Amino acid sequence: MKSGPLGLDPELLNACVSCGLCLPHCPTFRVTGLEIASPRGRIAAMNAVETGMAPLKRPFIDAMAECVQCLGCETACPSGVRFGRLMEDSRATIAHRSGLRALLSRAFGAIAYRRLLPNQHVLHLLSWVLLVAQRMRVMPKRFRSSVPRLTRHRLRRTLNVTVGGNPDVWLFTGCVMDAWLQKTHVATAAALRSTGVRIARPDSRAGCCGALAAHAGRRDIARSLAKSVVAAMPGAAPIIVNSAGCGAALKDYGHLLGDADAERFAARVFDISEWLVAQTASPLATEARTSIVIQDPCHLRNVQRTHDSVRLLLGGAFALLETNDDGMCCGAGGGYAANQPDLSTKITKRKAKALRDAGASTDVAVCSSNPGCTFALEAAGFKVVHPAELYADCIAPDRGEPRNG
Amino acid sequence: MLAPRFNTRESERARAEPLELSLYSRDAGLANGQAGAVCFPRDASDVAFAVATCKKLGVPFVARGSGTGLAGGATPLDDALVIVTTQMNRVISIDAASRTAWVEPGLLNLDLTRAAQPYGLHYAPDPSSQQACSIGGNVATNAGGPHCLSSGSTTAHVLAVEAVLPNGEVAMLGSTAPDQPGFDLRGIFVGSEGMLGIATKVLVKLVPNPPQIQTMLLDFMSIDEAAATVSAIIAAGIMPAALEMMDSRITAAVEDFVGAGYPRDAAAVLLVEVDGLSGGVDHQASLITEIGRAHGAREVRLARSESERQLLWKGRKSAFGAIARIAPDYYLHDAVVPRSKLVGVLRTIYEIADSHDLTMMNVFHAGDGNLHPLIVFDRRVIGVWERVQAAGTEILERCLAAGGVLSGEHGIGLEKRAMMAQFFSEADLELQARVADALDPHGLANPGKVLPAGFRCGEVGINRTLPEGTWI
Amino acid sequence: MNSRFDPTVESVNASELVDPTGSRTHSGLGRRARDGSIEISAPAGIVSHDPDDLVVTVLAGTKVSEFSDAIGLQKQFVPLDPRSDQATVGGVIASGLSGVRRLGFGPLRDNLLEVRFVTGYGKLVKVGGPTVKNVTGFDIPRLLVGSLGTLGLIVQATFRCRPLPSESRWFTTSSEPGGALQKMFRPTAILSDSRSTYVLLSGEAVDVATSCRLLASCTETADVQLPEGPHRGRMSVAPATLASVEMQLRATKASDLRWLIEWGVGTIHLAADSSTSIALARAIAVDAGGWLLIEDGAEDLDPFGVTIPNLAIMSRLKRAFDPDEKFARGRFG
Repeated sequence: MKSGPLGLDPELLNACVSCGLCLPHCPTFRVTGLEIASPRGRIAAMNAVETGMAPLKRPFIDAMAECVQCLGCETACPSGVRFGRLMEDSRATIAHRSGLRALLSRAFGAIAYRRLLPNQHVLHLLSWVLLVAQRMRVMPKRFRSSVPRLTRHRLRRTLNVTVGGNPDVWLFTGCVMDAWLQKTHVATAAALRSTGVRIARPDSRAGCCGALAAHAGRRDIARSLAKSVVAAMPGAAPIIVNSAGCGAALKDYGHLLGDADAERFAARVFDISEWLVAQTASPLATEARTSIVIQDPCHLRNVQRTHDSVRLLLGGAFALLETNDDGMCCGAGGGYAANQPDLSTKITKRKAKALRDAGASTDVAVCSSNPGCTFALEAAGFKVVHPAELYADCIAPDRGEPRNG
Repeated sequence: MLAPRFNTRESERARAEPLELSLYSRDAGLANGQAGAVCFPRDASDVAFAVATCKKLGVPFVARGSGTGLAGGATPLDDALVIVTTQMNRVISIDAASRTAWVEPGLLNLDLTRAAQPYGLHYAPDPSSQQACSIGGNVATNAGGPHCLSSGSTTAHVLAVEAVLPNGEVAMLGSTAPDQPGFDLRGIFVGSEGMLGIATKVLVKLVPNPPQIQTMLLDFMSIDEAAATVSAIIAAGIMPAALEMMDSRITAAVEDFVGAGYPRDAAAVLLVEVDGLSGGVDHQASLITEIGRAHGAREVRLARSESERQLLWKGRKSAFGAIARIAPDYYLHDAVVPRSKLVGVLRTIYEIADSHDLTMMNVFHAGDGNLHPLIVFDRRVIGVWERVQAAGTEILERCLAAGGVLSGEHGIGLEKRAMMAQFFSEADLELQARVADALDPHGLANPGKVLPAGFRCGEVGINRTLPEGTWI
Repeated sequence: MNSRFDPTVESVNASELVDPTGSRTHSGLGRRARDGSIEISAPAGIVSHDPDDLVVTVLAGTKVSEFSDAIGLQKQFVPLDPRSDQATVGGVIASGLSGVRRLGFGPLRDNLLEVRFVTGYGKLVKVGGPTVKNVTGFDIPRLLVGSLGTLGLIVQATFRCRPLPSESRWFTTSSEPGGALQKMFRPTAILSDSRSTYVLLSGEAVDVATSCRLLASCTETADVQLPEGPHRGRMSVAPATLASVEMQLRATKASDLRWLIEWGVGTIHLAADSSTSIALARAIAVDAGGWLLIEDGAEDLDPFGVTIPNLAIMSRLKRAFDPDEKFARGRFG
């Protein structure tokens, strides 16, 4: 069987037996009840386009754009369907088709993914613009849940780590994490140093991991960003990532770049919790354990599949509360909240209910390790902390870094 | 007219766009049909309106929940209107004291059990697709599941159904009080595969979680030994909560997905669960161990923790999906034979598959003799589909000859309607058609299902297409 | 193979009006005026019992006592508990009599697998199937349960059997029955009359003892009897309303009223010396959203005393089974 207009691997497409077990694990299906907003429906739609039964235009294109790419379906799929591959490949074809809409979206992508995110200075400048916009209440509605409440404190550069060199481990700092979640980086650095290793951060070449570009079907941009990232962290030292989305992207460089160097690079990548659990004993509570609600970022649970490390790392020191929603996506999804605000809001609402049901409140924080989730949940009124911050507080309670603000 | 109520501009209420319609042309079975339009009612009055409109226009209609059925029961024929209940998915109320709940039909089976959890209760029928399938679909097919061995299928857990009948009327069938005078209409409705109406509200029974559960895995070097153990357990007067069997190919496929620690080299494994008070549980577990060993069980493993138990079950419940790791297509059958005939029937059906040069595997509810022979194939191989069908028919014939029935839980749907005449006499089928005709004289409620062609009087005269413009 | 039913089919075909008849032990239920119907009975006898399959097939004219004795020989049972064990199996099905062990072993409808019966248009048909799990075709056996002879003459039935539990014992307790129900796991029956609570426990001896310890002053007792009297009725209410219904029963001035409540089920068996007392109880049932069917006596009262719901649907179904209204004419439209 040959592939059709989308250029999908027929073997991957054929692996779906339409059993429907993915449906309840798909956030867009959960909030719409529509087959076309489900993984099974999307695969059937891809099939229809590939076999010429449906045209490669709307509503197919809209259906592809509605997917959060949380990959809850991959975790649920007993047949091992590579839904993420199929979706990225479809989006890549869609991104490169002709027409004004596609052209505009490519131009936007080129600016956002190539010029803005990877460039710390531009991003920092933009952050101040956004801060002002927030103060003047002129922030566009669709960006409200993807940009956290910015303060001068939040934008302060407090991370003090050597740049480049030959460290024992690399701390990958990324784009948005570096701009808006410095406190997490500081805590991560403290946690890493507590294990006795010398750490360094990569130079400005490793500005963005390229995940957002890849999710949007812009593999060309993602590849060039990935090459810079690989070049910025040479050697054999482990690469520690504290953003679930970036970690998943770095671990996938082997596939993205398709060469042996990239494979070797990818094998060096670890999520911070994954690495800490393997290196050190988890801290134990000295007094009454504080309750924390665990939220698994999709890219930790469904892609890296290392979400249990967070529990192993923190279980001794905190009372971990679990949600009863099979680790459903929070709706943030990188650029998803901005691109699909309606769906995103519905999904976040569902997540918020699950978190509250699990015990999250003004007193009980949510533990999450992905910037997108963190911002969306903060916007939904939750107090969000990163596992590295909780860990660092345990091993060095007086490290003087405020956890919030 | 339909337009004001289900206008496509209200995009979440009704759709007629070709790509989207094509997604509703089948369920999880293999048959393809063609939907004329699809609508997403929010309540009983929406459903009643859709049904009444279909009646007025002479358009057939088909209810659909999650579309996880395997017999083509939700496959639309003749450009039918597909009435999708996914947006009617609330738990309306739970009465913990009387252990009942009112739910909407689109509610997922597992979500009902989750909602009941805080009360120490659960919903007993647990089809393998329970995470995805809807209560409405369960009602339509009288769905079963591993734990129906001791607790009975869906019908034993449904007290009342609010349904839109084929004439568009809303009726309450059954009651909270027992033994309503008159006919058990809820009884005939459950399992009627959408041919007697569409459920819009269901009153279900919830049952207390057992104080003790013991799940056991027995592994055997031959399928005959495993099957004989099943018969021996039942004959010894033990009624396990569940008694499942998996053959070696299934075990291997599942192990790849779940890693539950199933023995890859066993010819067959039995997954047995006993529950209740500790005395009975221990007594039954030790009896089962004894019977297993006497029949050649290599190992009897007892789940030591709830997580180990969950993992064992996850393997069993993922079995069908995991098949795609072996071949891109599968055809899953569903038949029941008397439990004492398991050994002979199993042996024959493997022979049937061999004679057609097909790979067959078995994962099934052994305790109630509910076989699920599963043929894996690749439809791209020329001529294979004909062989698959021929083998399937022979397997069902063999099951009937052993005193069995055509379906234990999936339903007849589109898949097996042609075989109904091999189980029922003409007079039997005529009566069933009379029942359908009595409630659906125009034959618009899920036509072309269950009963073989030629029995329904409403079969002629279906207006085959929706009038132009109705839905746009 | 069906020749054993030929005379029955012929009798039905030869008669204009038919009353399917068993032992007439429960004929007060749904009382009907005599209209010249011919009484036709089903043949009797056990057709087959396969203990390894826990399935038994019996001719509908067989008495429950004979049926239970026969399968009891194989240490199995079907939970049929009519007031009189001289009732026929077909009569129990048509009357929809579930029995007091229903809480533990399920209602009659859930234990019936396959039925053969003669339709009003004179055909012998099979509905359901002989295996414990079956969804082949419409579930017509359940429609026949409690149909009071209106849909056809039942001639044969197949039931699922259960192994006899190693122990099955009745106890009295001073525990309040509603609380006992919540506390215990799968009790076989929890009953109460105006004086005591009765609990039937089945299973392993150690579990029976464990369950017993959950109850206050639990003492073994003999079999519990349904209340007897010249006027009898069966009340059905939602299980959640039982406590309040019981209170109202106690509050009536009808001192001749005796009852036995099935907790967790919602059935109340009643007997009285006067039909006035039955009428009082019926008012309580209707007030609680339920009903009371007359089982015997109380000739001055309507046998159902409630508007039968969905009568229009029922009459359409009745015509499908019996187009000339040959069976039990006048009942259920």
